[in-house]
Amino acid sequence: MNRHGFWNDVVKYRAILLMLAPAVLFFLLFAYVPMVGIILAFKQYNYAGGVFGSPWNGLDNIRFFFESGDAWRVTRNTALYNIAFIVINNLLQIFAAILLFEVGGKWFRKITQSVLFLPYFISWVVVGAIAYNLLNYDIGTVNVILKGFGMEPIDIYNTPAYWPYILVIVSAWKGLGYGTVMYLAAITSIDTEMYEAAEIDGANIFQRIMKVTIPNLYPTVIILTLLAVGNIFRGDFGMFYNMIGNNGILFSATDVIDTFVFRSLITSNDIGMSAAAGVYQSVLGFATIMLVNYAVRKHDKDRALF
Amino acid sequence: MQKKSKLILLSIVLTLVMILSACGGNNNASESTQPAAETGPASESQSAATDGALNTSEEVKLKMIFVGPKPVDYDAVFTELNKKLKEKINATIEGEFLDWSDWAQKYPLKLAANEDFDLIYSANWAGYGDQALKGGFLELTEDMLAKYMPTTWKEMPKVSWDQAKVNGKLYMVPQNRGESIEKLILYREDLRKKYNLPVIDSPEAYTNYLKAVAANEKGVIPFTPETGDWKLHNLDRVLLKQQRDWNMLDFDLPLGFKLTDEKGQIFNVYETPEFKELLLYYKDLADNNAWSKNVLNSKNDHQLDFKEGKTASISHNMGTLGALMALMRKENSPFEVALADVTPNSKKSTAISTQNGTSVHATSKNPERALMFIDLMQNDKELHDLIMNGIEGVHYVPVGDNKFQATDASNNYTGFSNWSFNSPLNRDNESFPQEATDMQKGWDANVYHYPLETFVFNNTKVKAEVANVGNVMLRYAIPLEYGVIKDVDKGLEDLNKQMKAAGIDKIQQEMQSQIDAFLAQNNE
Repeated sequence: MNRHGFWNDVVKYRAILLMLAPAVLFFLLFAYVPMVGIILAFKQYNYAGGVFGSPWNGLDNIRFFFESGDAWRVTRNTALYNIAFIVINNLLQIFAAILLFEVGGKWFRKITQSVLFLPYFISWVVVGAIAYNLLNYDIGTVNVILKGFGMEPIDIYNTPAYWPYILVIVSAWKGLGYGTVMYLAAITSIDTEMYEAAEIDGANIFQRIMKVTIPNLYPTVIILTLLAVGNIFRGDFGMFYNMIGNNGILFSATDVIDTFVFRSLITSNDIGMSAAAGVYQSVLGFATIMLVNYAVRKHDKDRALF
Repeated sequence: MQKKSKLILLSIVLTLVMILSACGGNNNASESTQPAAETGPASESQSAATDGALNTSEEVKLKMIFVGPKPVDYDAVFTELNKKLKEKINATIEGEFLDWSDWAQKYPLKLAANEDFDLIYSANWAGYGDQALKGGFLELTEDMLAKYMPTTWKEMPKVSWDQAKVNGKLYMVPQNRGESIEKLILYREDLRKKYNLPVIDSPEAYTNYLKAVAANEKGVIPFTPETGDWKLHNLDRVLLKQQRDWNMLDFDLPLGFKLTDEKGQIFNVYETPEFKELLLYYKDLADNNAWSKNVLNSKNDHQLDFKEGKTASISHNMGTLGALMALMRKENSPFEVALADVTPNSKKSTAISTQNGTSVHATSKNPERALMFIDLMQNDKELHDLIMNGIEGVHYVPVGDNKFQATDASNNYTGFSNWSFNSPLNRDNESFPQEATDMQKGWDANVYHYPLETFVFNNTKVKAEVANVGNVMLRYAIPLEYGVIKDVDKGLEDLNKQMKAAGIDKIQQEMQSQIDAFLAQNNE
């Protein structure tokens, strides 16, 4: 009976299952199969032995990370930057989505949406170059303007204190369009009857937003946040590397695990050591997502991821 | 959607590749053993080969991996090359090119994935020692060399072979031509004359020049470093290494030794008074705007900036700067340029032979033919000219036996790593500046051979420390050298404290013990 039911379902939903297949295949190939590679983190890799034949060397590969004395600093930086990105980006994206939804005007909405989305497609290399041309001391636009007003130029690239703000702003600018579209989709799927009912009850626009739109966005916010939290210990390498590069002055404020590991291993090129750093990030990420999910579950069972 | 870090992506790709190649690797092994087993004549021919003639009856396709972009006229030149190769050793060659933008990632992957190729360009700066230790290259024995590449075996000086050995084993056929790697300075002679400055032949004279440019030439940056050349960079090599007659075994580690020191005593460069003196020298320059304040974030190409007159001096090696001079003169640049050696009396050293070389892939199916190929490339005048300069009359016009004249099509066959075939047969560009050639001759006379020339450091035991020291150099030493840190004393103190924490002493000990063992063995 059960078996019969299963096959029936397969046949019945074949189109949907077929649509799912590429995603399943993708994760199988690129997420599950490579997990075997975790053993590399504990091996002294050589070509003759390959992944399975190389000799074990215990925890030797991760030694460099903890002995550097920077492990805590870069781990903290990574987490704090990501928390800031998640909170600020989500707030801005929700804000922009609600604005776009309320302002209406098809053409205005479409054009604004495209303009907001544009930065998402600019590669970090280009963003890094733009930032350098805006911010550098000698010929940067910002300093040229300051000098034009007779003010002292500011040496942004040699002052770590500015950088957390700059990075948060750049990240928000770049991610705004993408997130806005996602939230806008969520808002448009809210049942319009609710708005009509609210209007009949005499709710003004702010009450409508606060009492109808935002509560209905909670599930989307929670899911997106949960997904992002799993990556909280992975720095956005493209962003940090292209914005900061090899400027040691700024490292104290801007080093994340990924840039730190990249710099340490770029000359030695050791596969085992880089794999070990990856495992470290994965373990931390796994622990965080389990914890956050547990917390959400306790609070509201239906909204947890699993 | 979420951008994953490059690192993770790389490790995923690597693992995938390796899983795939694990199956592939087995196939290769069985394939390569098969022909040997089933073809009886092969063993016969091998015994015949000892009589002098090598068996080349079976046609073989060789594949070689180069770094650098594929030249525009690759097809034309390699077709020509293959015609001649087929006649001589019944083989053809196919090139694969790893572009400069991502060769550093792809190069180790080619070996890790155990792809099907026979030869690969190798060099100390491309991780030769490391890749050899990981088993990427075939070990070359003296028998093999004498048998399959007799001319090279005869022509190559013994010291070149020795320099290419890793742990006493050879994995590379090095280039057969001394190459100067000393750095020097290229500057604007017209500006020097304009401000009536003395000839630039000392660090002080160079300072004068930089300061004069900074003070008087608006919009021209006096000095621009090479992007990506951090750690012990070009200027350090001039002002620290050459000026003090020191050398370093690895420019990613601040460990130096005196050239004349027979005992090869290693010291920490950052702890020397000479380094502090250099820092003060740099600080003075930085305070006088000798380079951009945000030099660490600039991604400008220093050679291009120099050519366009945006910067008034750069530092690199003789070959690169000479070529740039030749190019500027050919294009009738409005700027008068000249070379400066600010440490004219120092001892000069040449590149060790592993600066350029060719290695045979560990799983090549035709190592014999591969070696014969290298032999021809280095020592057969006709083939050597072809691989180095392209087609006669098209890409170059020969001038005498050892010079050539560039043509308009020269740029269509250049820019990739054919340098591993450098040999005494090389032709030099006729328009290479005479003063550069003269200066080179002066240097050649001053070349100093030091006891540690053939020593190769094996860092397996101190990998963690090497990784951390590299990081500290970038974070603490480089800002200090470019004068970004206001208090030099405190900056130096911080640097040395961090160096200690990163384990520099352990590396120093390890290196010293390897050197002691090496010298003891050599003196026996």
